[in-house]
Amino acid sequence: MRDLLEVYVQQFKTTLATQVQYRAALVIWLIGHILDPVIYLVVWDTVARSSGGRVGTFSTGDFGAYFILLMLVNHATFTWIMYEYDYRIRHGDLSFALLRPIHPIHADIADNVSFKLITLMFMLPIAAGLAIVFRATLPLIPWALAAFVPALLLAFIVRFLVEWTLAMVAFWTTRVSAINQMYYVAALFLSGQVAPLSLMPFPIQVVATLLPFRWIIGFPVELLLGRLTPGEVLMGFAAQGVWLAIGLALLKIVWRASVRQYSAVGS
Amino acid sequence: MTYLRLLYVFFRIGVLGELAYRVNFFVQLFQSLLGLGTALAGLAVIFTHTDRLGGWRPDELIVLVGVYMLVGGAINLVIQPSMERLIESVREGTLDFTLTKPEDAQLLVSVQAVQIWQLTDVVLGFGVLIVALIRLGAAVGVWQAAAFGVALLAGGAIVYSFWLILATCSFWFVRVENILVIFQSMYEAGRWPVSLYPGWLRFALTFVVPVAFATTVPAQALTGRLTGQTLLGAVALAAALLVGSRLFWRFGIRYYSGASA
Amino acid sequence: MSTPTIHIRNLCKTYIVTEREAGVVAALQSLVRRHTEQVIAVDGLTFDVAPGEIIGFLGPNGAGKTTTLKMLSGLLHPTAGEVTVLGHVPWRREKTFLRQITLVMGQRNQLVWDIPAIDSYELNRAIYRIPAQDYRRTLDELTDLLELGPLLRKPVRNLSLGERMKCEIAAALLHRPQVLFLDEPTIGLDVTMQRRIRTFIAEYNRRYGATVLLTSHYMADVEALCRRVIVIHHGKLLFDGELAGLVQSFSAHKTITVQLGDCETDLWSYGDVVTCEDGYVTLRVPKSETARVTERLLADLPIIDLTVEDPPIEEVIEQVFAQEAV
Repeated sequence: MRDLLEVYVQQFKTTLATQVQYRAALVIWLIGHILDPVIYLVVWDTVARSSGGRVGTFSTGDFGAYFILLMLVNHATFTWIMYEYDYRIRHGDLSFALLRPIHPIHADIADNVSFKLITLMFMLPIAAGLAIVFRATLPLIPWALAAFVPALLLAFIVRFLVEWTLAMVAFWTTRVSAINQMYYVAALFLSGQVAPLSLMPFPIQVVATLLPFRWIIGFPVELLLGRLTPGEVLMGFAAQGVWLAIGLALLKIVWRASVRQYSAVGS
Repeated sequence: MTYLRLLYVFFRIGVLGELAYRVNFFVQLFQSLLGLGTALAGLAVIFTHTDRLGGWRPDELIVLVGVYMLVGGAINLVIQPSMERLIESVREGTLDFTLTKPEDAQLLVSVQAVQIWQLTDVVLGFGVLIVALIRLGAAVGVWQAAAFGVALLAGGAIVYSFWLILATCSFWFVRVENILVIFQSMYEAGRWPVSLYPGWLRFALTFVVPVAFATTVPAQALTGRLTGQTLLGAVALAAALLVGSRLFWRFGIRYYSGASA
Repeated sequence: MSTPTIHIRNLCKTYIVTEREAGVVAALQSLVRRHTEQVIAVDGLTFDVAPGEIIGFLGPNGAGKTTTLKMLSGLLHPTAGEVTVLGHVPWRREKTFLRQITLVMGQRNQLVWDIPAIDSYELNRAIYRIPAQDYRRTLDELTDLLELGPLLRKPVRNLSLGERMKCEIAAALLHRPQVLFLDEPTIGLDVTMQRRIRTFIAEYNRRYGATVLLTSHYMADVEALCRRVIVIHHGKLLFDGELAGLVQSFSAHKTITVQLGDCETDLWSYGDVVTCEDGYVTLRVPKSETARVTERLLADLPIIDLTVEDPPIEEVIEQVFAQEAV
């Protein structure tokens, strides 16, 4: 376990050094991460204002809080690993991953987190600024704040597992962008990015509860905003736990199959 | 005209290169339909809670979606791949070949790469437009259609000039490959009428990254919202940017041939 | 000579290069303070080229050969000096000028990667506005001379390096330019292919009287094609004349090869022994001593055969550059 920690520390150092040079370009992605929730925030704001100031249980201030928090949670949990593996496979950059005695996912997680350590420095002030501009109303509930941290952590891990497993698709096809798009569209609607799930048609809400999307993005947001009863929160943690287990199992199976596929086909 | 002749030649090459990969057409079609479905589903969710958005009726917003796809497809058809190729050729030195050809270099680099299957977006967008207009029962008179055409051309010219200016920056800043993503990230906002956004964002989407001129203004023309002022402004801006980007390009070439090894 | 095709007087090119050390701190520093240096790439070149000449540019990497070629083809503005090619000032990039020249770069491709070469040729045909009949005729001749037949319809990325180079050269010649700028056209090719391309260039020059400026690292290229050679080092013109003359001017030595039958005899008193193999001894002697040493060898030893030669050109060139690298 200590060795693994050492790996993470070393990986942090190397990726932090490279971030300044190469990943400077990824900062441009931030524009999308900020703009997308803002767009939907504006849309729902408009709807609310033409409907007497509320839609469902959301006032304009509530929408502000919801989408800005969503922006932060989405950014904290997002990965680009599907593009990364598509790129690596096409350029034959995988030997390093296959030769290391540890699972490649650790390096990828470390890479991901070190990137966010830098970007969150920008995202947090921007979020604060947006919160002021859109007059977000953020309720401060102590137990919710406390529960938020593990919920976010679990959300990150589950999301990473899911997307990492999905990234393995690149071993079997070059049509990664089409599959990515399907995933993102599903996530868009089912994780609460287009609209808070309580505003979606009921069938959608059911599907969303059964799939992991709600639990990796929407759930921590709803929790922090105090929109869930303690019972619902516990159920949420349970759902995260279930998907964590599923994710780990799938990871193992799919990784082994992928390596076999890779060595059968060659680079 | 030389421009059309060269565009045809490059188009032909783009087609030839892609015809071997017919699967790409179906994949692209799938993705286009998925994108359209996403946009329409989003609208559906919104309109379970209201019947107008910022004064726009559902079918008018569908018109906007159609324009969004049409213009987006056109940009990704020629402008985006050519500008990306330009940045790459500056980095790799193959721009030298273009500069020894007896045709205007800006013309050559602007049409040099064609992603032929993006036509699905163009066709689909156009189709969506027509359907939405029929549903609206809108009487699109000659003037409106003309205004729409002018708005589209002006928007196209503005977007092209913007991309050219960004790509020309690669003469000075070598690591600029991802700069073009700025437009693509902000283009998302063009799916909704720019009038919805708060002032500062509206300004950014009009004058910093010209998304508004690409999507909202032409859609306004079709839905009877376009003022003569705005249209004239768009045309004037288009003319100014075409001239400005050409001057900047020439400046960039002078720098490139003065300081490169 | 009558109106020269290329006319250069005192051509100069200076670059301003920013220097930066590695590391994050230096990177941040460079945002505020820029440390620049002047690099003189070309320093006062002067020469003329007559129509139909094939000229070889020799020089080590960074000597200024490619820079000179780029200034002649209009890609770079000179810092000083005058240049005319075919009566035009190159960097004005007039269309009539560009239609008469061509540039081939050994390390870069202008052919479109994913499609057969023949389709890239169509592109050039459109850009250079070559009439259909001329295009057909030129293409046939080039296909014949370069043996392009089976290659034209394969996607360029499927061709080998040598095949690709042949197609590149053909693409560059479709518009029958009068002046050819060839920047290391044979680099990375196998010996057979190099020879074939050399033969082609010579034949092309003979048939069409095109003027050729060639840069190359391979002496074989220069020896086979160029009667006249220009040596550039540190941007300065060191030598302009016939290749044979180059050796004459720069070499201080001659090589004497003596066939003795064995390698026992010590010949160090006659000159520097370079090698001894199978009874053949190679000596290096100062040019002025050649006659005397030869006399002594013939008088003193039971020589079966004796030849006096110039040292290999590579050696001469190396010495030239080594000398100038002060």
